[in-house]
Amino acid sequence: MNFADLARELDALRAGTIDAIAGAPDTAALQALEVDALGKKGALTAILRGIGGLPPEDRPRVGAVANTVRTAIESALAVRRTSLGDVELAARLARETVDVTLPGRPIRRGSLHPSIEAMTEIARIFEQFGFVVHESPEIEDDLTNFQMLNIPPDHPARDLWDTLYVDVPDRLLRTHTSPGQIRVMQAMKPPIRALLPGRCFRYESVDASHGFEFFQVEGLMVDEGTTLADLKGLLDQFAQAMFGSGKRTRFRPGYYPFTEPSVAFDVECLVCGGPGCPACGRSGWMTILGAGMVHPVVLQYGGLDPERYQGFAFGMGPERISMLKHGISDLRLFMENDVRFLESFR
Amino acid sequence: MKAPLSWLREFVDVELTADRLAERLTLLGMEVRGIEEHGVDWQNVVVGELLTVERHPNADRLSLATVTIGTGEPLTIVCGATNIVPGQRVPVALPGAVLPGGRRIERTEKMGVLSNGMLCSGDELRLTGDGDGILILDSRSPLGAQLADLYGDVVFDIDVKPNRGDALSIIGLAREISAITGSPLRMPDVEIAEVGTPVADRLSVAVEDPALCPRFVGRWVSGLTVAPSPDAIQMRLLAAGVRPISNVVDASNYVMLELGKPIHTFDAAAIRGGHVAVRRARAGERLTTLDHVDRDLDQDTLLIADEHGPLAIAGVMGGAASEVSDATTEVVVESAIFDPISIRRTAFHYALRSEASLRFEKGQEFRLARVGADRTAQLLAAWAGGRIAPGRIDTSPDEPVPERVAFRPERVTRLLGLVLEPDAQVDLLARVGISAAPAPGPAAKVTIPVAGGTRPLSTTVPAIDALIATVPTWRRDIAVEADIIEEVARVSGYDRIPTTLPSTPSPAFRVSPLGLRDTVRSSLAGMGLHEIVTHALISRQHVETWTWTDPTIPADGEEPQAGAVISVTNPLSADHAFLRQELVGGLVSAIALNRRRGQDDLALFEIGKGYGRRADRAHEWWRLGVALAGSFDVAAWNRPRRAADLHDAKGILEALCSLLGFASPTYEQLSSERTLHPGRAARVRAKGPDGGLAVSGVLGEIHPSTAAAWDDRVGGAILLEVSVRGLSGGAPAVPRATSPRRFPTVERDLAIVATDGMTSAALAAVIRDHAGQLLLSVNVFDVYAGAPLADGERSLAFRLVFGAEERTLADDEVEAAIASIMAAIVTAGARVRT
Ligand SMILES: [Zn+2]
Repeated sequence: MNFADLARELDALRAGTIDAIAGAPDTAALQALEVDALGKKGALTAILRGIGGLPPEDRPRVGAVANTVRTAIESALAVRRTSLGDVELAARLARETVDVTLPGRPIRRGSLHPSIEAMTEIARIFEQFGFVVHESPEIEDDLTNFQMLNIPPDHPARDLWDTLYVDVPDRLLRTHTSPGQIRVMQAMKPPIRALLPGRCFRYESVDASHGFEFFQVEGLMVDEGTTLADLKGLLDQFAQAMFGSGKRTRFRPGYYPFTEPSVAFDVECLVCGGPGCPACGRSGWMTILGAGMVHPVVLQYGGLDPERYQGFAFGMGPERISMLKHGISDLRLFMENDVRFLESFR
Repeated sequence: MKAPLSWLREFVDVELTADRLAERLTLLGMEVRGIEEHGVDWQNVVVGELLTVERHPNADRLSLATVTIGTGEPLTIVCGATNIVPGQRVPVALPGAVLPGGRRIERTEKMGVLSNGMLCSGDELRLTGDGDGILILDSRSPLGAQLADLYGDVVFDIDVKPNRGDALSIIGLAREISAITGSPLRMPDVEIAEVGTPVADRLSVAVEDPALCPRFVGRWVSGLTVAPSPDAIQMRLLAAGVRPISNVVDASNYVMLELGKPIHTFDAAAIRGGHVAVRRARAGERLTTLDHVDRDLDQDTLLIADEHGPLAIAGVMGGAASEVSDATTEVVVESAIFDPISIRRTAFHYALRSEASLRFEKGQEFRLARVGADRTAQLLAAWAGGRIAPGRIDTSPDEPVPERVAFRPERVTRLLGLVLEPDAQVDLLARVGISAAPAPGPAAKVTIPVAGGTRPLSTTVPAIDALIATVPTWRRDIAVEADIIEEVARVSGYDRIPTTLPSTPSPAFRVSPLGLRDTVRSSLAGMGLHEIVTHALISRQHVETWTWTDPTIPADGEEPQAGAVISVTNPLSADHAFLRQELVGGLVSAIALNRRRGQDDLALFEIGKGYGRRADRAHEWWRLGVALAGSFDVAAWNRPRRAADLHDAKGILEALCSLLGFASPTYEQLSSERTLHPGRAARVRAKGPDGGLAVSGVLGEIHPSTAAAWDDRVGGAILLEVSVRGLSGGAPAVPRATSPRRFPTVERDLAIVATDGMTSAALAAVIRDHAGQLLLSVNVFDVYAGAPLADGERSLAFRLVFGAEERTLADDEVEAAIASIMAAIVTAGARVRT
């Protein structure tokens, strides 16, 4: 073995390996070629083992040739590796491609019932004005449900509240949340700002706007200088919060035996905005609640001196509010519990 | 109350448009619920004059009329009516006309003759009740004029509130219009020509119970010819929603609408003995009323009776025997004041509430008894040719003086928040007929009526601070100062009330009773459940199916399920005759309804009350109910359906407990609840941070027999009902923060083979009891049954986590704990799989 032979072998290794690298089908083949050519037990090492038979002056020359061969193979490997890597990555990415237009894995979503949700929303709005929530019994007595509210037995105004009676002595199903006014006044000292949500019952046939079970929210504010003007301001704020700012509101006389003066409170028609349409009976207004200044008889039954204290009360139906707000046309939907309806309120 | 504008205009001038008037009435508290336009549905109906009326050549029962409508050739029209003669003016529906009900009139051939339109009856135009004859118009009606322009009217439907009985009348509403516009009111002229034998010589009246009949006024009218009322009257009554019957009956209805005074007319020939008593019914008395129902009379019923017995139920309904008929020639007109409460009770008792009883119930102006009798007699004379006997029966002829109500102008401002000078208040009150003036004479003090009714209150103030309001006798609703304040506000207009926000101090903070309920609601909705609201009123079958066998012990501070089921004594229907004691029945019914409608996968909850009666006291308690049915996983292309089972309900409950700061719930086998599968039900409990009972209730799969009996569609449903501390009015717990451990924990898994009847909870308890202080948690992570295990054996794999606060554990510490646990497991009769 002389220098020339070794140099030829090295050159053959270089040429053969670089050819093989160019033809390597994938990075694994490339890896194998690298090991075969440059590994510890590879061809280059094997060739250089013959270096011991050379004269010492030739040895550095062989080393130099071997280095150029190694560099050439490594750079060929690097070039080929990059191009094969690109191809393989592209293949992998192609392989991993999914139909992104398929729908997602659905998350179970529930909903909050519109009656309770409206009641909760009403409470949240009035809480901003310092009102606190109270609750009072659904099974009431005639005294609190009617008489203390200035509705004596056989009063013609009883026609406004057809009543369901129960087999508990002197008990009935409350027809409104107003008896809560009496209970709050008896339990608290002014200043009173109370909100009383809850279920009510009436002897009433069911149709698109009436039910025999429904919810109501009562409000009561009593202090030394609480005025009808305060009621007007507060309700106006409420309407803006509930139905959107800029909504016009209207105060007009109403009638309840337990308020004097009594008020009906209207908001501009949410359908037509004022000119009049079938939804508002051509008037341009929708009535959302009844209210008034607490009657002196009621204040007295609440244990308060009407010469010192005065205040207002209001009552509204969360279902009605919800119907107006969400465009629900039939009250019966609220207690039917069809999930396709409930899903509107997620 | 239906009020035709034309009728209102008889008593007050109206310049406003109908829409504007409706708005102003509404703003005055007389809410206009609807506006009907009469005559808008007469198109192309005009006034014509009959030129000739001849027999139809081919039909005996038809006539052939020629009619001019003022322009063009006379029209030939075939007509079936017999009341027409040449020279009369009649309504002519021209070809192309449309009548009420959408009926279209065309040029048609009738029995060989071409008819160029139709002559109309009052009924065809919905103007009068007469469907037989052609409506004969006033001879001054202009030829060719559109009928709608002559007879069209606007009818307001007004919601008169129960306190304003006076406004249940055309006059009363005209008064309100007068208050709006300032136009003066014109009262009807009641002038009467009296002839013949005085009424006092024909009839005597004794009121035996003056409290129930404070005033009875009677008139006697003879020489009557009963016939239809004049067309104009029929038109007016129809517009007001009252069917015309005959001139005599119409007269009383007319007075009821015009004045608000119900009137009853008796056929005088049916009154025997010339004496009438107003008295309560006696035992065993009966009366056949106008509706031809023979009625047993209750002894609280006030009657009009003659010496032979009852003639009428006072104020509620007349008797058939004394009813005015076509043969009637003489009548007694009754115009009385009755006790409102007695009338109301009687009308309810016999289920005979009517327009008349409604007006009596609200109380009547005393004076109306006299005016109503006179007005009725006057109309009977005008419409039926009656002769009015001189004088009237009047059991209480003295008219009461108007009430005086003292008020403080300063209070008006204080209550309304609207500054109004006393003079301005006086002017406003004057518009509704209330005159207010300073206290007369040298009075130094004036008594102010602050409250009336069942809690009267008055106060005395210096005369200088008060005004005395004199209230017109028709305003029976004004009795105290607040009523005067309302009148001032009403007439002034609520739009003048300023808009302010309360400036008084706020009340002290109070936990909202909705707080915890809200947290539970929103987290359950977040877990994918739909909140529902079901009826508290349920059927007997519902009660019998769903009431719990063994009531839940309530969580601390919550009400227990108490006592007997409450029933409604006057239920609307058998479906809603009882109050529920549980929530699951309603939830199951909601599942059934949704499945009937094709929705199979359901997860529902309700937070609501149960109701019960114990020792004559009513109780109400709050519960949370959950029902799952169908797939709990939302199925999709990449996820299969998976039927909800007990463990889904437990997962929900466990998440809820964790959210509310309660310990994880424990489960105990429950096989005695008859609506639940005995092998798939558990009693559940969870402790609060203080160790008290925070959650308590049951969960389970619906019993197959219960499902089959209730609704096949609900089989397999998973039910949960619990009492939760704070549901009736608490705030969610405030969580205590946990710092992350600084030292590593050690995990050990143990697979325990349990024999039949040995529960996971029991094994976990054994592990906890013998693990010492270092065990942080123990959880089941796998359950296996089958080979190589014996039948009835299960392998439960537990993961135990050990740790200490301030150090890393030594291996031997953990090994010692495991050894002690394994020994205890064996002692308990299970073995550890290795
Ligand atoms: Zn509208």
